[in-house]
Amino acid sequence: MSEETKNNSGLIGWMKKNGAQAAAYSGLILCVVFFSIVTPLTGESIWLPAKLEALVRNVIVLALMSVGAVFVYSLGAMDISIGKQVGLYATLIVVVGNATGSLLWGILLSLVISVIIGCINGAAGEVLHIHPVVSSLVFMMVLTGVSSVTYNAIGSRNVALSAFKVGLLKEPWFMLLVLAIEVLVVSYLFNFTKLGKNARAIGANSVSAQQSGISLVKYKMIAYVIMGICVVVASLFQMGYTASASDSTGTGFEMNVMVALILGGMPLNGGMRSKVSCALIGSFTYALLDVGLPMLGVQPNQVFVIKAILFLVVVVLTCRKKSGTLPR
Amino acid sequence: MVNEVLFEARNMHKAFGPTIALKDVDFTLRRGEIRGLIGENGSGKSTIMSIASGMQPATSGEMTYMGKPWQPHNMIESQHAGISMILQEANTISGVTVAQNLFAGREAEFSKFGVINMFKMYRAAEEMLRKFGITHIHARDQIDSLTFEDRKLTEIVRCVDDDTQILVVDETTTALSLEGREILYKLVHKMADEGKAVVFISHDMDEILEQCTDLTVLRDGDIIGHLTREEMDAPDAVQRIRYMMVGREIGGKYYREDYDSSHSDEIALQMDHISFGPIRDFSLTLHKGEIVGFGGLSGCGMHEIGRAAYGLEKLEAGSVTCNGKKITDCLTAIQHGIGYISKNRDSESLILDAAIQENIVLPSLTALTGPAGFISPASEKKLSDGQIDAFRIKCGTGKQYVNTLSGGNKQKVSFGKWMAKGSEVVIMDCPTRGVDIGVKQAMYALIEQMKKDGKAILMISEELSELIGMADRIIIMKDFEVTKEFTRSADLKQTDIIEYMI
Repeated sequence: MSEETKNNSGLIGWMKKNGAQAAAYSGLILCVVFFSIVTPLTGESIWLPAKLEALVRNVIVLALMSVGAVFVYSLGAMDISIGKQVGLYATLIVVVGNATGSLLWGILLSLVISVIIGCINGAAGEVLHIHPVVSSLVFMMVLTGVSSVTYNAIGSRNVALSAFKVGLLKEPWFMLLVLAIEVLVVSYLFNFTKLGKNARAIGANSVSAQQSGISLVKYKMIAYVIMGICVVVASLFQMGYTASASDSTGTGFEMNVMVALILGGMPLNGGMRSKVSCALIGSFTYALLDVGLPMLGVQPNQVFVIKAILFLVVVVLTCRKKSGTLPR
Repeated sequence: MVNEVLFEARNMHKAFGPTIALKDVDFTLRRGEIRGLIGENGSGKSTIMSIASGMQPATSGEMTYMGKPWQPHNMIESQHAGISMILQEANTISGVTVAQNLFAGREAEFSKFGVINMFKMYRAAEEMLRKFGITHIHARDQIDSLTFEDRKLTEIVRCVDDDTQILVVDETTTALSLEGREILYKLVHKMADEGKAVVFISHDMDEILEQCTDLTVLRDGDIIGHLTREEMDAPDAVQRIRYMMVGREIGGKYYREDYDSSHSDEIALQMDHISFGPIRDFSLTLHKGEIVGFGGLSGCGMHEIGRAAYGLEKLEAGSVTCNGKKITDCLTAIQHGIGYISKNRDSESLILDAAIQENIVLPSLTALTGPAGFISPASEKKLSDGQIDAFRIKCGTGKQYVNTLSGGNKQKVSFGKWMAKGSEVVIMDCPTRGVDIGVKQAMYALIEQMKKDGKAILMISEELSELIGMADRIIIMKDFEVTKEFTRSADLKQTDIIEYMI
């Protein structure tokens, strides 16, 4: 009985258990407070409608991707092909849209491809006994090749949606609405169904999960498919922003997702402490820096340095320390 | 030199926040002693020695070692000074050879200009192993190719050298095979004869009574008493020690008291001429309401039989059936009412980094799923709280993480998982490993109740007394073959069984 209470008592115990979350929340709050106070000094404010709009535009694609990626990261896995997937889907939606006059067919085609890629990425680790990052790396290279060949054939480095207009996709309220729906659906799946519970269990201890009757292949595939679908939704907004796509669309997004999730307190080895809120907190912190720092006169290329420092602080604060040995 | 005080602690106090692990205890260790430390989980028996060996600092108190004040900062410092502790958990470095494990941190002794002379290291390692009387482990072996037991032996060899003055053995023997134990016991007595001291921290009363020269009993962070060798030989010693440990009379009932080995004729689990790996043509019929015990040395194949019954082994021939359905993997096993408690509690049975509730409900999630895939948090809590109450798992709430629980309570959680699922066949591999007597007693009562409820139990154990005490049938294995089968009887003695194991 003595041991049980030990680890959880007092502030230290609480910090040990919730340290990552606390650091993530305080990081976001700190950013909000800091920019609220400091930006007016330079004659601007992050609370101006125009700036808030910029913030939403900045956050939407990253947030939509990160929320879906929670499923994969909770497995303790990651997928580095999602940036290139965004590029592919955005291109498809534009090209198919121009050909058919509707977004629908491009979206459907993208969904089909995302499900296939998700299934392969999810199953590869278990079936071929390779690290799941490896198969996503293969997809990243394949998609880079596909995009390069395609744009070469088109003879231009970008394609624009010319058949019709997609004004709705640029509306901040619509962005927030879609994000809200996605967060609700993913939260439901993640917290109240077997899909999420099993994914977290696999991340926490895959041997134990398997011995408890969880099919590793099945639930890993499902996790990747859920992320793939969210990536398609994100691609739609990425395309809608400029009503076009190019051969560099989506490049590096996979890293932004990783950074956002870590900023949001997501444990990189997955498990029970994974939360959907990590994706939201992280994405908003990330976007806030993108919008806020230039207002203070920070050069865009210096923004990276500041992000890197913040990233380092969060990682140092949240990395799991070896806990002291308990008496037996 | 014998009887000279080697280590002394005065008013040693250790608190974790509001909880006190050690209450101002005084502890003296003399040369030539083999001191047993016994007590229930959380009594503070490991805490004393973990402070002495620098694993954690004391809150207050003083220590003297070899006549000088002693304040170690870490375990490496202690080991250099001559206090070595062998821990319960595996502590070897994976991915390298035995020799590299033995000389981890001492590579400089074998290197010239930054290049390690591996040949020299292998030779030294081989010599070291032989010195301990270990002939079956070789310096060039990959550590991962060794069994858990042999990795433990490697660790012992690494911990002990000529300068070791105090060797602390913390619950290690439960992880060792019979041969391994003999090697350790020989070492322990040799050290005592050389005027060094050994501290044995163990749950195993028989072992303590056999090996130790002195015994200290702890309870709730207090030293309750000491027993000399003469007192340990007294006929009522076991009763007395148990009373000191628990602080109340342990009811006479421990194992089953009946010798009725009857059970239902209905077959619960059938293993039909199965072959896989080194196991050839093995058959077993397990009935409802029957407890079948498996005994043998570790490495005899009994653990593999348990895994095969749960669908974890790929069969080359034969089949495992439950209720007429073929078991092909653990998914089908669970669906047909089989539960499995692995002997590797912390790495396989439980998700340590998850709440008690999350562990208990895990196999039952499918059953809890309602329309639209919805699993109601209330139903999860109800299922888990039911088990927490039934097993009296000592915890705040079901949300508490499993890694904060003591060994006995962890094991209760892994039992609770399958009780919550309502499993009809339960395969338990070393169900009471590292569990103290209070909890053991409760578990035996539970297993007996399960039998009465018509559940079928496959009990694999390294403790013969437990098998004799609980099983209707005992199957003894040696070198992957069944050597003998015993039926439950009051006359069955351990000595009758052992000859079929070795």
